[in-house]
Amino acid sequence: MTHTPNVTFYDFRKSAAKAVNDPNLQRAVDGATLRFRTHRAEALAELPDSDALRDHLKAIRAATLACLADHLETFERNAQAAGAHVHWARDAADAQRIVVEIAQQHDADLVVKSKSMATEEIHLNDALLAAGIEPVETDLGEWIIQLAGEPPSHIIGPALHKTRQQVAELFNRKLGTNFTGDDIPGMTEQARRVLREKFLSASIGISGVNVAVAETGSIVLVTNEGNGRMVTSAPPVHIAVMGLEKLAPTWDDAAVWLSLLGRSATGQPLSIYTATITGPAQADDPDGPQEVHIVLLDNGRSALLGGKYEEILQCIRCGACLNICPVYQEVSGHAYGSPYSGPIGAVITPLLFGLEEYEALPHASSLCGACLDVCPARIDLPRMLLELRADEVEQRIIPRQERLLEGSAAWVLGRPRLFRFLTGLGRFFQRPLARNGSLRLPRGLNPARDRQLPALAPRSFRELWDDGLSANDATSEEEGT
Amino acid sequence: MTAREHILGQLRDNARGDAAPPAPWQSRRQFDDMAARFIASLEKVKGAAYRVASLDVALDKLGELLQTLEAERIVVNNEAPFDTLDLPGRWPEAEWHTVGQAGDLRAACAAADVGLSSADAALAETGTLVLSSGPGRSRLVTLLPPVHIALVPAACLTPDIFTWTATRHAAGLADAMPANLILVSGPSKTADIEQTLAVGVHGPKRFIVVLYD
Repeated sequence: MTHTPNVTFYDFRKSAAKAVNDPNLQRAVDGATLRFRTHRAEALAELPDSDALRDHLKAIRAATLACLADHLETFERNAQAAGAHVHWARDAADAQRIVVEIAQQHDADLVVKSKSMATEEIHLNDALLAAGIEPVETDLGEWIIQLAGEPPSHIIGPALHKTRQQVAELFNRKLGTNFTGDDIPGMTEQARRVLREKFLSASIGISGVNVAVAETGSIVLVTNEGNGRMVTSAPPVHIAVMGLEKLAPTWDDAAVWLSLLGRSATGQPLSIYTATITGPAQADDPDGPQEVHIVLLDNGRSALLGGKYEEILQCIRCGACLNICPVYQEVSGHAYGSPYSGPIGAVITPLLFGLEEYEALPHASSLCGACLDVCPARIDLPRMLLELRADEVEQRIIPRQERLLEGSAAWVLGRPRLFRFLTGLGRFFQRPLARNGSLRLPRGLNPARDRQLPALAPRSFRELWDDGLSANDATSEEEGT
Repeated sequence: MTAREHILGQLRDNARGDAAPPAPWQSRRQFDDMAARFIASLEKVKGAAYRVASLDVALDKLGELLQTLEAERIVVNNEAPFDTLDLPGRWPEAEWHTVGQAGDLRAACAAADVGLSSADAALAETGTLVLSSGPGRSRLVTLLPPVHIALVPAACLTPDIFTWTATRHAAGLADAMPANLILVSGPSKTADIEQTLAVGVHGPKRFIVVLYD
């Protein structure tokens, strides 16, 4: 099994502090998320009725999940009728084994991949490497982070945390080129040259699936670069790994999904290429893969169905919630320790990979609600963040000190006289710790040294309120006379 | 128990089962001039489109484009309107490969300067062409060469993706999917380095559509 990182409260605060103090990262993420947000808003505004379209997508997603097993069987039947092989994977280990076995049957030593979060989720590249098979990522952003040996930091823009200078340095170091940061066309051309050879020599193409369509057994892949088309057209074998919730019953439904996906993700009415694959090449097709395999990945999804977290399965992976999130904008993707970052990651990562292991993520939010506002499927992420926090309390995942502190706070707050007495005491004893109206926190509570706890005010709000009321009363009496 | 039985069992146990799928979304798009919208949308993403009065004028336009591009090697799908035209006879100075002729199609596509095709449909809203695989219709012709030129009857225009799926349903085509169906909405591009647009990553660097009446 591949190692999955834990993200404790301390880990998250530490990586957040590191991110906040990295000016390159801040510049790159601020610029990218701002552009994504602006383009998204413009694209939705250009639609005749984007709010109704989002309501419609929500209705489609909810109805599909309510009968997911039936739709999956329909999909399987139609995909098989078109000549595709359908495999079912309970977990990451199942999926890895299935893909590696297919690759070995074909004596593959090189596979080309188009960007796929599902294959990131199951750490497929590690499994392929362990079997002696070289996976080459072909999305430019994904290729950049593969060269850098990093995980993706954004669902849509895996390398958006890097500046152009950093990419140029990486290319020069790894590929022996001599680029300056401003030569983006040159770096793009380099990628085209290097990866073109890989496309034409690889024996297997591996992709994810943006949406599958049950009524025809088709899978749909969306890219701007064309690597999705390459991976599914050039090699003789194509393997697609999909989360089993990414299913639309009909083409009408898929059209709604696609017209919101591009607009919400990058502000494009449609991505440049929408590739639909329905089985392998037919007998009289002049080219195309001879074999198509589809791996349906559960990995914890089926357990979420029917419960209070089912809504998270409505996600179409557009990344809009990342771009709008004030926490994501500061800490970037790596702090989440998961291929899924931002608000969607803060909910789905603990649900799929363990709340205890990712205890900090439900707290990586200010609960401002912006993610709900922009979600094309109107997923109530703030509600689920709160539910997860409540689960942590119930499962006693939060640290003992915090539980004690919050328990005592609740007890004191229920007793106004005791509360007044204790704040009076506090006001007296805080004096040696207070400076400019705030208290210095011990290091353990403040790893980044960026937090300030306001000191208790000389007079409480309640005291000011009481004074104000009597002053107001006096005024109004005077006016009345 | 197989993984399939296990997963389907778990899904059936947990699912609410109260599905009430909404009626299909009806397009709310209307364009007075679909061709104009198609051209504007495509130009926005650095594609190019022209509208001409007839196939003859479209072929003149094609000749002009091939000359400007200095195309020496051209691959072409064996489909209407090209299948009844003698393109190599018309432009004998270029080296032509028609899908289905003897020789290595893949190598021809990889070496070609221009790939030539038609399309099943054109979506006005997004400046999108719909391409299908099938006899005489190659995936690589429209993918490997640095330039993709499409000659498409203007009658193929439909307002948007919703009217397109509705038309397919009405024509009973929804069940007859080609193995490969591609919506192309512009030249290949990326913004993966600092969100800066770079055209021509893996697919064609130029995407040119000629709509003819």
